[in-house]
Amino acid sequence: MDNHMTGGTILKKMPARLFGGLMTVGLALMLGTGFAVANPVDGGPVDGGLGLQEAATPFMEQVHQFHNWVLMPVVIGISLLVMVLLLIVIFKFNSRANPTPAKFSHNTLVEVVWTGVPILILLFVAVFSFPLLFSADVIPDGKRYLAQETELAETFTSKSDTEFVIANDFSEHRRLSSKDHVEVFVLSNGERRELAYHKEFKLSGLKTDEVTIALNEPLAAGEELEIIAGRSRVGAKKFLDLFGTDNSQIVVAPSINIKVTGFQWGWSYAYPDEGDFEFNALIKKKEDLDDASLYLFEPTKRIVVPVNETVRILINGREVIHSWAVPAFGIKIDAVPGRINETWFMANREGVYYGQCSEICGKDHAFMPIAVEVVSREEYQAWVDSEREFAGLEPKYTNTIKLAANADNAQ
Amino acid sequence: MAGTATNTAEHHDDHVPSFFVRWFFSTNHKDIGTLYLVFAILAGVIGGAMSGLIRMELMDPGVTFLTSFTDQNLPEAAQLDAAKNFYNVLITYHGLIMIFFMVMPALIGGFGNWFVPLMIGAPDMAFPRMNNISFWLYGASAFLLTLSYFAPGYGEQLGFGGGWVLYPPLSTENITGPSMDLLILSLHLAGASSILGAINFITTIFNMRAPGMTLHKMPLFAWSVLITAFLLVLSLPVLAGGITMLLTDRMFNTAFFDWTAGGDPILYQHLFWFFGHPEVYILILPGFGVISHIVSTFSKKPIFGYLGMAYAMVAIGFVGFIVWAHHMYTVGMSVNMKAYFTAATLVIAVPTGIKVFSWIATMWGGSVEFKIPMLWAIGFIFLFTIGGVTGVVLANAGIDHALHDTYYVVAHFHYVLSLGAVFAIFAAWYYWFEKMYGIKYNVFFAGAHFWLMFIGVNIIFMPQHFLGLQGMPRRYVDYNEAFSLWNHVSTWGYLITLLGVLAFFVGIAASVLQRRKGVANPWGEGATTLEWTLPSPPPFHSFNELPKIK
Repeated sequence: MDNHMTGGTILKKMPARLFGGLMTVGLALMLGTGFAVANPVDGGPVDGGLGLQEAATPFMEQVHQFHNWVLMPVVIGISLLVMVLLLIVIFKFNSRANPTPAKFSHNTLVEVVWTGVPILILLFVAVFSFPLLFSADVIPDGKRYLAQETELAETFTSKSDTEFVIANDFSEHRRLSSKDHVEVFVLSNGERRELAYHKEFKLSGLKTDEVTIALNEPLAAGEELEIIAGRSRVGAKKFLDLFGTDNSQIVVAPSINIKVTGFQWGWSYAYPDEGDFEFNALIKKKEDLDDASLYLFEPTKRIVVPVNETVRILINGREVIHSWAVPAFGIKIDAVPGRINETWFMANREGVYYGQCSEICGKDHAFMPIAVEVVSREEYQAWVDSEREFAGLEPKYTNTIKLAANADNAQ
Repeated sequence: MAGTATNTAEHHDDHVPSFFVRWFFSTNHKDIGTLYLVFAILAGVIGGAMSGLIRMELMDPGVTFLTSFTDQNLPEAAQLDAAKNFYNVLITYHGLIMIFFMVMPALIGGFGNWFVPLMIGAPDMAFPRMNNISFWLYGASAFLLTLSYFAPGYGEQLGFGGGWVLYPPLSTENITGPSMDLLILSLHLAGASSILGAINFITTIFNMRAPGMTLHKMPLFAWSVLITAFLLVLSLPVLAGGITMLLTDRMFNTAFFDWTAGGDPILYQHLFWFFGHPEVYILILPGFGVISHIVSTFSKKPIFGYLGMAYAMVAIGFVGFIVWAHHMYTVGMSVNMKAYFTAATLVIAVPTGIKVFSWIATMWGGSVEFKIPMLWAIGFIFLFTIGGVTGVVLANAGIDHALHDTYYVVAHFHYVLSLGAVFAIFAAWYYWFEKMYGIKYNVFFAGAHFWLMFIGVNIIFMPQHFLGLQGMPRRYVDYNEAFSLWNHVSTWGYLITLLGVLAFFVGIAASVLQRRKGVANPWGEGATTLEWTLPSPPPFHSFNELPKIK
């Protein structure tokens, strides 16, 4: 008697309705738990929320894509598959429905499939996982080029009214070698528009010492060129190069460094490039808060950073291990005594983003919050000047715009 | 899982020792197994009570509940401080007790000792007296842990509140009282106990199998205990080394982890997790073995792909030794190291998946009876799978930055432990209850126990995934009101689970009162291993003659 059930028989026994049903349920669950409920607060959780916090950086958008489109389908798919198989067993193979047990204990095809398919699924996960990790951990080294040199940009060389040259002087293994490593923007009337490769500009000299950007048409009057180049491409790309839009961008090297020290029980921040002024941020007590719903999130002082600029965080612990986290940025880095750790972020929208200490550090572990206030460059400069003034230094930026809402922040 | 020898011959009067000698100087694997099970049940009650206090505090925002346990004569601020410390102590001891004093004694000390010799046809363990030493070392360890809980830690606060992982500098310079030192010594004894036990199991399984029982005919539960024993023997010494270094840093001015003198706190984390990751496989592998037996018995079919199952466990055990730093993705490791550990951790999903699908394939085509042990086993398969896939999520370092030290991790490991290992423990309890105690369990309360626990623990831990994704950190006594709903729901889940645990104890009482006589094999043709050929309970000396396996 042939005791072997073939793989085909098993698959045929699953009704099509069931398959359609589980796909629908799976999709619903995926959408529900994967995508965050709309957030009224800029950078915080929502009561009853099911998914990750809304992204405030391109990296976090990449995390969203990885979680919602790569991981959640795998999670829901496998859980549903196992649940459905168990339900089939319960209803088809209970002792009343099937009084005589089969005797098979092997089936080579099925065993190969359930070894091989998980391997393929894991490869699928890995293909997205490694770029995500490298996006997070490689400090961006992109460069911005403008016609005039500024604090945040180098200059390109104009060869003609359509040809512009930049030096491919990145460190080894980080040199420009593909069209993904160069972005070209046209600035006019305060608007910034990205040009399309091949349709609006061409590249030559990739992998050599000089890269030439050749515009198909010269710039109009009042238009300026901005070039961003580098290998630090971060953000959600088109999924499998098929669905969605490409929201990735080349991230420029950090323009701001902030030193963070975790202590029992608060955070100390210093801006070494802006005069090395320093301040502490402790928990803001409930009675001192204007908005009591921010208790445990709002510290006594926020750090302020400009929007669309890359910030490098250098972090250390004073006596025990703490951990500095901002969920809306998707970052978390331990503050270890005797060690300096490094991470980075680039916020692409203004707002206030909260985080909390993420390594148990004693009785007030839950009471040392973090707040990052992302503002325009002008407001940031005004804030720096007010901090410098408080530290007894001359103002660095001669901006006279004062940030009224920063009255809180200027101690 | 062959076994055709039967043992229906009459037993002569077994020379059973007197009560004190029998229970305090035991050299009988069945009695020692019973001692471990009683110990594990007691520890489970204490650890579960701690988690009850934790969930009651977390029911609503604000530190409101634990302040009723503090010294009411102190001013309010001091009471608040004491409550915060108490919370940290609770989460620490809850973890230590459940891992070291509940799951391990139940599965390895309890069911391992009871059934491995019976299944392989051995008269007892290879070193019966050392077996007893292992148990009483556990008792001594529990005693020291209790002392640690009530000893001064930080200033006047009692206990150590730094998490079961004991990271320095929090556990070295930051805590000055003897609580930490007592805790370290407690873990030394627990480790020694498990190492000796592991030696015992390895020797027994390699040397004392009945004639004809090759390793490839050995039941899967014995396989699981064998592999677990190897994991114990290889990983526990590293824990012992690490915590000894904590002790010498604290007492003898060494500087292993003292950065001011050239040490590195991260060294401890590597040492701890080199033990800690195999430890979680130690917790689950015997459970895998139990589930294989139960699924096969109640499907009335042999386990699907026996060799695949055995070697999948070997693979899980082996790969489990080279993935430890996935617990350390945020310490500041290099990106290439994180990439390696991500890849290695993902690999473990393959043998684990083989096991889950093989259990289902065992049931497929079978004639399944949904007796109580089978309910627990099916619950295990589904819920362990959910815990496993969230593990696949966490394996990826890129997203772990967002999820590390959040409730997503807490949800993950409770799914694989509370809904995995604990379900396997209860499955084993009901599967072997009649065999061990010679009476039938009360089916009504056992069913109530299952359904209340199944519903309860899912309500506790499913919402914690949402809390973690939304960013709520773990080990937090208080939280912002934006985390309210799921915390509240989670606590209600605890209350339902508590009813389930109550049903467990009432069920034991009812079984004892009803005293319905047990039979050698209540499960029928599906129960094919040697323990079912013996009377229930087995006589003091199990086998009258050496079983021969064909």
